[in-house]
Amino acid sequence: MKIVVGIKQVPETTNVKINEKTKNIDRRGINGVINQYDRHALEAAFEIKAKTNAEVIVMTMGPDDFVVSLQEALALGADSAVLLSDRAFAGADTLATGYVLSKAIQKINDVDLVILGQQSVDADTGQMGPIVAEFLDISQVTYASKIDIADGALHIKRYLETVEQDITAKLPLLLTVTDQANDPKYVNVVEITKSFEKPVITWHATDLNLDDDRVGQAGSPSIVRSISSPKAVAKDNHKLADNPQDAADELVKILKEKNILMEDK
Amino acid sequence: MELLKENWIFAEVDLNKVNPITYQLITKMNQISNLPVTVVLIESTSENLEDEIKEYGPDKIIIIKNDQLAQGNDLEMTNALDTLIEKTGRPNSFVFAATVVGRSLAPRLQARLRTGLTADCLDLHFEDDNTLIQTKPSYGDNIMCEIVVPNHRPQMATVRSNVFEAKKLNNPMLKVINITNLKVISDRQLTISSKTLPQENAESINDAKRIVAVGRGDKTEENLTNAKRLADKLHAVIGVTRPLTDLEEFNINDQIGQSGQSVSPDILINLGISGAVQYTAGISNAKTIVSANTDKDAPIFEYSDYYFVGNAEEFSKALEKVLQ
Ligand SMILES: Cc1cc2nc3c(=O)[nH]c(=O)nc-3n(C[C@H](O)[C@H](O)[C@H](O)COP(=O)(O)OP(=O)(O)OC[C@H]3O[C@@H](n4cnc5c(N)ncnc54)[C@H](O)[C@@H]3O)c2cc1C
Ligand SMILES: Cc1cc2nc3c(=O)[nH]c(=O)nc-3n(C[C@H](O)[C@H](O)[C@H](O)COP(=O)(O)OP(=O)(O)OC[C@H]3O[C@@H](n4cnc5c(N)ncnc54)[C@H](O)[C@@H]3O)c2cc1C
Repeated sequence: MKIVVGIKQVPETTNVKINEKTKNIDRRGINGVINQYDRHALEAAFEIKAKTNAEVIVMTMGPDDFVVSLQEALALGADSAVLLSDRAFAGADTLATGYVLSKAIQKINDVDLVILGQQSVDADTGQMGPIVAEFLDISQVTYASKIDIADGALHIKRYLETVEQDITAKLPLLLTVTDQANDPKYVNVVEITKSFEKPVITWHATDLNLDDDRVGQAGSPSIVRSISSPKAVAKDNHKLADNPQDAADELVKILKEKNILMEDK
Repeated sequence: MELLKENWIFAEVDLNKVNPITYQLITKMNQISNLPVTVVLIESTSENLEDEIKEYGPDKIIIIKNDQLAQGNDLEMTNALDTLIEKTGRPNSFVFAATVVGRSLAPRLQARLRTGLTADCLDLHFEDDNTLIQTKPSYGDNIMCEIVVPNHRPQMATVRSNVFEAKKLNNPMLKVINITNLKVISDRQLTISSKTLPQENAESINDAKRIVAVGRGDKTEENLTNAKRLADKLHAVIGVTRPLTDLEEFNINDQIGQSGQSVSPDILINLGISGAVQYTAGISNAKTIVSANTDKDAPIFEYSDYYFVGNAEEFSKALEKVLQ
């Protein structure tokens, strides 16, 4: 059994600001780390590997420095890693990214299970899973909160807003996982050292038999037209009295005056 | 591919119930769209959910009554919507709820149609008549982006719950179209059994007009009992921050924030909540916000109309007393 886990390297903090000069996101001094949800995706793969002896291949599309995250994934337990890196991939939106990922997964051949995180913590779209599933022409289960494998099928719990689902899924399948699914491990030094013996393959655009007008900016229907800081809603920030009873009296008086707390229904 | 001069909304139905976001989307689209507003509804043969949808005044409802599809998974629904669009032509835009269902179905359809999709929008408007300007947050709501899809149709978006208000509207021009012969392409890979989660709260926090929200600074059993008494007095519903969902009695339906629920009450009282961005992401539509926290520099105060620096339990007890 072959499992591909897609990971994205994201800024270590989402607490970013906009650079007033460049009008771009200021990422100076912010390191890249594995997207938190992708740690859960990796852990899900490792748990299945422990039961089935599956081969786990970790994959990312991005600049060469994303290799740091691949190395960490190898140290955590992945068997091999694939970096998809090419100038031509730059500026990709979710559709173009999903296209390249799906072509690379097809190149690996005979992949039974693709596992992604529920969303990245920077762009936050969560679109990659369904897009990759569609391009691979396989079924999908998104937002898996509990994953088990038995008799070659996956047993999954999934929560919609007011509905709980129990799903049995045959392979091949694409899965996206929430942070409720498991508790990811962290790496120890021995594993890091050993991981350098594991293979990291780099594929460029020419390795993937791609349709040129479906990659990078050219293959991206959506355009980020502008970015800005969220408008903080102007709030009164009125500090109430220091003593709880006085504060409560003061508040209720104001709320009644403003008709916010009308006489009870 | 033929283009259709309409803006479409996907009606989200969760086990026989129309998700209220559908009505919010209709009201918003009616306000911003120069083109007819069409709702696409998939329901079982025994349902007539269009009767409720009508009341919000769309120009058209396309109904696909099919028992298999009404229980359909993402792939089956994608197949159905794709087949429908092949018949009708591509609409100018197609918007979905940014719920688990919408965020799973919309991107699959996006890939099928090879168009652009913007996730989790907080605002929408049209420019030059038909270009949809989509405003979405990223970096955990620290940044806002404006996204456009200039050359592909439909322009797709998912939209968060409770950012727009639903208003009833009578539209005498309403057309209802029943699609009866849609071929269902089934997905035999998945077997799904669904059940409605027990609703512990009589009223869900999504629709609540008053909310008392409890955080880690007010989480002992005694604190909680007090908070509940205050909520009773106010006829309010209890909401929580994520750490409190570790407690048996709360789950994701009670949790406010980015990975929980967006709320829009008239009044929200925060007890012992620090104000992490993942929490405040869910309260931007609360009208009046009151917060109590022992830390005079708690970030939540910035989001508050009124704040009390001190013990949340004492504050909540005092408030309860005044409300006698
Ligand atoms: C501020 C901002 C806003 C954006 N908004 C949009 C938008 O609205 N619509 C749009 O189409 N594009 C958008 N993009 C572009 C989008 O971020 C990229 O296409 C990105 O490569 C993938 O999308 P994501 O980060 O949202 O991934 P998600 O779909 O949120 O990621 C889900 C999972 O997919 C896997 N994954 C994601 N990226 C990779 C990768 N590069 N390699 C391997 N696995 C991966 C991971 O497992 C991840 O957990 C935006 C980008 C930015 C910077
Ligand atoms: C991807 C992701 C998604 C998340 N989604 C959500 C989400 O949807 N919703 C959510 O809530 N969180 C979410 N979180 C978690 C979030 O980052 C915060 O950890 C969480 O909101 C903190 O909850 P809190 O304010 O209750 O606790 P804390 O941050 O621990 O704050 C407790 C506060 O109580 C105050 N306090 C202590 N004692 C008292 C007292 N006696 N009286 C008054 N005040 C007191 C303290 O000063 C402090 O400010 C998410 C995190 C991640 C990484």
